[in-house]
This record gives sequence, structure tokens and C-alpha cells, in this order.
Amino acid sequence: MFKSVAIIAAKAVPVGKIQTRPSEKYQSVEHEILAGVVANAIGEAGVEKAMVDALIFSEPHVYTQQKYFSTFMAAYLGLACRGAVMEVLGNGMTGGLAFDQAADQIRLGRARVALALGVNMETATPASQHMNITMRVTGDVDFHSPAGFTPISWYAMDATRYMHEYGATRTQFAAVAVKNRRHAALNPLAQFRKPITVADVIKSRPVVEPLTLLDVPPRSDGAICIVLATEDIARGLGRPYVRLRARGSFHEGVHQVCDRPNDMIAFNAAATAGRSAYEDGGITGADIDLAEIYAPCTIVEILATEALQLTARGDGARAAAAGETALGGRIPVNTSGGCQSRGHPARLTPLYNALELFEQLTGRAGDRQVADAELALMSCELGNYNAALVHVLERAQ
Amino acid sequence: MKRMPIIRLPTPQAYQPRVTRFNEPFWRALERGDLTTTRCVKCGEATFPPKPICPRCWASHLEWTSISPVGVIYSYTVVHAAPAIFEAEAPYPVGIIDLEGGLRIALRLLDQPDRLKVGLAGTVATVLYTNGPYFGFKLDE
Repeated sequence: MFKSVAIIAAKAVPVGKIQTRPSEKYQSVEHEILAGVVANAIGEAGVEKAMVDALIFSEPHVYTQQKYFSTFMAAYLGLACRGAVMEVLGNGMTGGLAFDQAADQIRLGRARVALALGVNMETATPASQHMNITMRVTGDVDFHSPAGFTPISWYAMDATRYMHEYGATRTQFAAVAVKNRRHAALNPLAQFRKPITVADVIKSRPVVEPLTLLDVPPRSDGAICIVLATEDIARGLGRPYVRLRARGSFHEGVHQVCDRPNDMIAFNAAATAGRSAYEDGGITGADIDLAEIYAPCTIVEILATEALQLTARGDGARAAAAGETALGGRIPVNTSGGCQSRGHPARLTPLYNALELFEQLTGRAGDRQVADAELALMSCELGNYNAALVHVLERAQ
Repeated sequence: MKRMPIIRLPTPQAYQPRVTRFNEPFWRALERGDLTTTRCVKCGEATFPPKPICPRCWASHLEWTSISPVGVIYSYTVVHAAPAIFEAEAPYPVGIIDLEGGLRIALRLLDQPDRLKVGLAGTVATVLYTNGPYFGFKLDE
């Protein structure tokens, strides 16, 4: 008999630059930072520490000196667990897999309370050095990496193709960045909160054409802990919580480029995972009140909203520019500020998205609150959206 | 079948592919201006990059086959923010090409960025660096 899964707390440090250079006198150390976040989260949840039965971590970046991080942290936090204590990894989907695995621990009855958590430290390493590693995550390391592809170069090729097929414009892409910055201005956890304009985006330096600096994600650090529990426990706490209503996932069996020509910008994995989640929950895209989409670049948000049936095919850029995906619009997307402005601690971004939806669905999102939000979708991905993991969350009392 | 142009560069390649016992025929043919890949003897599926097992039917009896280097641009970008090892080459274009034989490949583009457009035709070329061969896509003149 499967258990219903609830989110009962979510805590994080503000996204930003936290990692220290080796030359600095005082170092930022991952386990010290994360331990405080976990204690805050459990404090907010109001459950006994002894009820935490499972710990699912996003695997830290290679820069994190402490290895075997999950088992080390179990000891650091003095947590004895009968469920899984492990690290997961899946490119941009990493945080989403941590959430998914923690939810399964609850669902399967292996844990009363499970934590999905992690720390992402990378900003003290220059982007060009970081890319010496990440250029090897996209495509075949011997046949593609020598050409000089970077992870976001694939999204840029989506943008080029989308402009070609649908006549979308740079101004429409820029509108997504401006909208996300406006959302971030209302989010105390966001990395960039100063307003920007469409002209700012278009005039910022080119990174991967046609995308410019403000279309693409910044470098970001973060630390976060999401507390999941059985719905029975959540109900007993006597305050609003969030229920996991539905889930879908799909890997299309492609890594970046399909050698049989396909419709690359249809984001087939997102479409399939989305349909699967909607079927699981007995709902449709029209029932969703807001969404947090893992979208490193502006174009990715546009294509993912189309694939997930939140906007019509080929209409996502226009819809974004028309304000339909902004706070107060038809379907607010990335009220956190998204990857461009909330920030993109890559291994944790899906967990920060879960935190945003927890705050929205429990009515604590402050000035960026979506009124009467009941159903919210989060989606994360890897590759060029070659795989997608979709969760639908629901407000519960 | 159209021959591949062969372009000699006086510099080494920044990031070198590894030659394996399996993939060596690809690199040797490439040096001669012959674009090849593996085709499954059982189901006929060609795949790129070449693989020692057919991704469609998992048969392991594959043969090397020459493929046409002629294709059109499906999409492209120009990389300005490059990995450190490629910084000296930036900005440089990369793209996705649909070959006339039905395969889609991703590779470096060898023309100036302002010439590039979706749908333009060209040919996959051999690029001979001082330390080994690689491949790129050259637009028709």
C-alpha cells in the first residue's frame, strides 16, 4: 500500500556566490553551511529529528573536498536512518532526482520523514575552467567535445531553430529574462534583484548566439533542504502543507543530438513526461495555476511551457512577451525568478523550484504570491531536454 | 559520392578524440577524405558516431560504410563564452547538420558566422590538425 507524500518544510540559503578561493583566510565549507539549513528545515517542520529515516543528497560538484558526502553528513548531523542515505546525480535533473527518490522513500513506507537536500559550490572556479569539465557532459566526448560544444550551446541552437521555424524574435526571448528579473525582485532568496529592460538583455554581451549574458544562467552557489513526510504526519502538524499529486518522467534515449532527424525543439521528453504526470493526476495543463520550470536559458522556458501544454506550440515566445507567464498573468512561470535571476546552483535548481512551489502553495510567498494557487507543476531536465521529470504539487490543509 | 574537402591547419587540436581499436577505421578513413560510420548488417541501421553495437537491434555485427558528406544546416550557434582550452579559437560556430543520407550530426562549422543560415547546404570536410584529423562543415561557395 503506497503512502501519500507531503512536503512539510523547505529551507535554503540565498542563491549567490558562497564558494571561497583557496587563498582566502576563511573558507566556506559545505557541511557547515548545509548542517544549519537542515536544522532550520527540521525546526520549521516541527518533527522530531529521530523521525528522519532517509537522506537523499544531490551529489556535490567535484570542487567539494569532502567526499562520500552523504554518509559523512549522516554522521555530522547525528542521524541514524533505516531508509536510504545516498547521493544522486543526473546533470540538471540532479535535484529533481533527489526529490523524486526522497518521495519514493515515503511512498514505499521506508521513511516517515525523508530529506531531499544538497549543496552546490562552484562560483570560485572561473566559468572557462568549469567549462573544461562541462564541455564533456554534452554529446560524445570523443566525437563531439573536440568541436567545442558547451552545455548552453545546445539551447542556443534551439533558439536559432525556433526563430527559423516560428519567426520568434530576440525581443521575445528577452521578455522572459525581464519577467524573471521582476519576479526575482520579490524573492529574498534570489541572486539578482535589480530591474532590467529588454534593451539591457539585447545589449548584454553575446554568449552563445543568439543568446546574450542575460538570457543565460549566472554561476551560482546554494544549499537547501526539503522535508518530505507521509501525509498522515503532515496532517497531524495542524498547518498547511503540500501534497505530491502526480508525477511523470521520460528519457527519450537521446543524448543531445539524435542521429535520426527529429523535431529537436518539440522537447519530446517534456511533452511525454508532462502527459504522463497529467494522466497520473487526472488533470490537464489547463488545471495548473503556476509552474517552476528548470530553464537555464530564456528559450528553454519558452519551449518547455509549450511541451508541457502551458502555452500552445509555437506560441510560447509570444505568450511570454504578452505577459501571460508573468505574475498576474494567465499562467505564472518561474515566480522565483528562474535560473537567470533567482540563480542556478545547477545541482540544486530543481530543489529551489520545489521550495518556491512549497511557499506558493502554503501561502507564504509574500509579494510574489499567486492568489488561490492550488496546483503547481515543476519540471526538470537533462541534456537538451532529452529527459524530463515532472511533479505536480497540490495545496493541502 | 562527393569527396570531402581536406583542410590543413598549422596548429594542434585543442581537445583530441581518443583512437580505439574499434573506432580507428573512422579516423583513418577521415584522413583520406572519406566520411564513414557503422551500419548494422542485421537491420541495416546506420548510426553516428560509429558504435560497436547497433542501438536499434543490439546486433553486434556491423560493417563500415561510406556516407555522403553533403548536408544542410538544421541549426547553429556561435560560441563566444568558450571552455578555457578553446578560448583562443572563440568566437567559433558549431552546428547541427542533416546529411543527405538521412543521418544528423553535430560538429564545428568552418565558415565565418555572418555567412551562416538555417537551411544552407555544404559538405563535411576533413580538418587535419598537426596532431590528428577531425571534421567540420563547410558551406558551398
